[in-house]
Amino acid sequence: MTPARATVTLTVNGVARTLDVEPRETLLDVLRERLDLTGAKRACDRGECGACAVLVDGRPINACHVLALQVRGREVVTIEALAGRPEFQPILAAFIHHDAGQCGFCTPGFALAAHALLQRHPAASDALIRWELVGHICRCNAYDGLAAAVAAARDARKPS
Amino acid sequence: MTAPADVSALSVVGTPVARRELAEKVTGRTRYTADLHRPGMLHGRVLRSPHPHARIVRVDASAALRLPGVHAVLTPEDAPQQPIDRDLRALEPLVRFAGEEVALVAAESEAQAEDALRAIEVVYEPLPAVLDPEAALAPGAPEVHPGGNLVGGKPLVVQRGDVAAGFAQAARIFEGTFRTQAHAPVAMETRAALAEWEGDRLTLWKTSRAVHASDRPLLARGLGIPAERIRVICTAMGGGFGNKDETRLGVLTALLARKAGRPVRVEYSRREEVLGGRNRQATVNRLRIGVRVDGTPVAIEQRSVMDAGAYISSGINVNRRTGQGALYLYTCPNARYEGHAVYTNRPAGGSFRGLGAPLGHFAVEVLADEIAAALGIDPLDYRLRHHVTAAGQPGTRVTAPDALLPDEPVEGGVPFSSNALRACLLVGAERIGWHRRRPDGAEPGERVRGLGVAMGTYKGGAGREAEAELHIAESGRVALHLGLTDVGQGSATVLAQIAAEALTLPAERIETVMADTARTPPGHVTAGSTTTFSTGEAVRRAALAAAEQLRRRAAEMLGVAAARLEAGRLISEDGRRSLALEEVAAGLGAELVTRWRWNAGSSTHIVNSFAAHFAEVEVDRRNGHIRVLRYVAAQDSGRIVNPRLAAGQVSGAVLQFLGIALREELFLDPRSGVTLNPSFLEHKSTAIVDFPAVEVLFLGEPDPVGPYGAKALGEPPVVPVFAAIANAVANAAGVRLHEVPFTPQRVLAALKAQGRLVP
Ligand code: FES
Ligand code: FES
Repeated sequence: MTPARATVTLTVNGVARTLDVEPRETLLDVLRERLDLTGAKRACDRGECGACAVLVDGRPINACHVLALQVRGREVVTIEALAGRPEFQPILAAFIHHDAGQCGFCTPGFALAAHALLQRHPAASDALIRWELVGHICRCNAYDGLAAAVAAARDARKPS
Repeated sequence: MTAPADVSALSVVGTPVARRELAEKVTGRTRYTADLHRPGMLHGRVLRSPHPHARIVRVDASAALRLPGVHAVLTPEDAPQQPIDRDLRALEPLVRFAGEEVALVAAESEAQAEDALRAIEVVYEPLPAVLDPEAALAPGAPEVHPGGNLVGGKPLVVQRGDVAAGFAQAARIFEGTFRTQAHAPVAMETRAALAEWEGDRLTLWKTSRAVHASDRPLLARGLGIPAERIRVICTAMGGGFGNKDETRLGVLTALLARKAGRPVRVEYSRREEVLGGRNRQATVNRLRIGVRVDGTPVAIEQRSVMDAGAYISSGINVNRRTGQGALYLYTCPNARYEGHAVYTNRPAGGSFRGLGAPLGHFAVEVLADEIAAALGIDPLDYRLRHHVTAAGQPGTRVTAPDALLPDEPVEGGVPFSSNALRACLLVGAERIGWHRRRPDGAEPGERVRGLGVAMGTYKGGAGREAEAELHIAESGRVALHLGLTDVGQGSATVLAQIAAEALTLPAERIETVMADTARTPPGHVTAGSTTTFSTGEAVRRAALAAAEQLRRRAAEMLGVAAARLEAGRLISEDGRRSLALEEVAAGLGAELVTRWRWNAGSSTHIVNSFAAHFAEVEVDRRNGHIRVLRYVAAQDSGRIVNPRLAAGQVSGAVLQFLGIALREELFLDPRSGVTLNPSFLEHKSTAIVDFPAVEVLFLGEPDPVGPYGAKALGEPPVVPVFAAIANAVANAAGVRLHEVPFTPQRVLAALKAQGRLVP
């Protein structure tokens, strides 16, 4: 038996892509194995940890939890592209200054989520920052550094 | 003791240098093992046993091999049968736990490999399984390995003085049974390996904390080829916590790639990581402490039974370290530890942060509170009176006079190189506001608050043969080559700081090359919080040796008698002429390589790190829920090489163990032996909203033995956490908790049993 195939067209980091995939392939499979974009990590493959977060039409989602077929025609941005944007630089600087990653495996997911949350809530309170990041797991438990970094990025971005 | 380093004017050590490669990590550019691809690479998947104990009668892979994309299947018949570890073979026609490796498939995609797993037919002959260590020790119990279920055939016994005589002098004897449950370390990155053969030479990329000390010898044994033909690389590690190696993964991936004739990558799923990784063993600790009328301990005795699971791996060390609190935390002439490691048909245990120390300290520090309460002494005062001091334990030294002292001290008569336990207690108490503490269970109402304290001691990082190599190229490029892995704790940053300090350079000038058997000198395993202390000293010496050679060459080049090195320049004695380090490097005529190997430790002093932790909790007496309100961790790790990284490491350690204290537990179905919750969600991983920010305090003086005064830091902060919480709960609600994790069910049961429930 040969598995069924499907064609998916989508935009990844500004580049239009047409891919021949198996229907069961997730967006994460496609990014990591076909496009060699490995900034989104696979840590659970079932939507429990946020390590695979990417932006789809500007909103953060867990790439392991959607099929490639479900993002046909959508615009996907991964951490590799987000990293180059000017509005991301205060986040990067704050992550380094507050040592918001230890082993770093969860960190791209957190950084992408931090970006999305500050887009949505530029003046998020410290408590809201933590609640917005609740879907992300860090097993190094670098949570204090992460919370401090996102708060610092918020303060750096808002012209107080 | 070696002469104290001149630490009067440090410019790089002690400063908050940014973590190495953090920008690459944040932006997703760091390549971990599972992020690597090789041309022609196949994906490997593992078939796992559904039975906790069974003989494999037959494996039929013919249908699987006919599926599209499938290139090879590896079964026990293909695997060499010589042991790769003390009780482990690559694949055996016998499985000892549910989830154990049975066969592997290599296919063009992971999905195809998964399909093929389902097409493999295995005929099992189930055998009686034993899932409980007490049952495993009973006569006639099914044997997990030939020779009986007590690992090594006898318990580990370590002692000082004479406990029987000590108990005979005791006015009162306190005792208790304390349990800690199995849980999974769950590093964020799952285990992965990528094997590529070129003729009879193997390159293996792997999640590893010991490419030299563990993977390469294990592969050589498993594959039957000389170690020289094997290169092992760990590009980056997504968390280790003392875990991550010890499995067959490397050998199996290499065998599969050899059979498939193509490179193969195997990446564990989260479920496999829990089943096929190495978990924290459950323990039962029976503790007795005999005290004089005033509470002075005169005898301490602990008996531990550890469920090792189906394979022992590092369990011997875990068992040993479980006795550390009883043997050494309180000044007491008579102490005895008896540790039993027992095989069962559960997923294998292994090493995890702190080894057994947090498990044993839980018993010691909770019973110490019970003693204090019974005698009407404030628990902080009790500790201030009886904690082990810089003098060490009473008694006579047993270790030969010139031998290095053991890093897990037992004997008396040997002082510590440094011990700031008292300062940790006093300053930590001040910070949390210990004066606010009320008598146990004094607060009325449904939600009650309380304060708790617990201490910890842990080896300071000695006991490893460490090696470092420093390269200064003619271009002036300075690179530190180290065999060990930065598992995520920041050792690359800290060790580069140490080299930079010795060379008077900024830390960024030092490149680090690590965890590659082809490019680095042998390195010890990244374990036991030994890196900064052991390898740090090797780095310091290698860098000082390089500095010496640069000074000599500079003097020649300048035509002066001697030159000194300052801020990266070599300066003539009169200060009138100088050369940049690069100019001198260019003048060396060849790359300068200095190496240092040393066996870390002291023959006159025990090197230990210390901690005192304070917790404030709120207990809901209606539902058994514990909320942590504040947590203060006071650590004595000597000089802190990098305060920024150190604070994060302590806070991360505490948060990790708060999660384990309150929630994390692996459940096994007692009938089928199947693990029920191998996932983040069901294993209840800590999230960012669960606990308050940890208040971290660093106390103590630079240690006279450690490099620039540093001592171990990675594990010591996990040691007191369970007891700090249990003691705070006792203060709040008036109930004693003797079993970790402190789930609402267990707290409720304790409230009910001890008559403190609010209906
Ligand atoms: S890998 Fe996607 S949420 Fe965990
Ligand atoms: S930094 Fe290691 S998992 Fe978050």
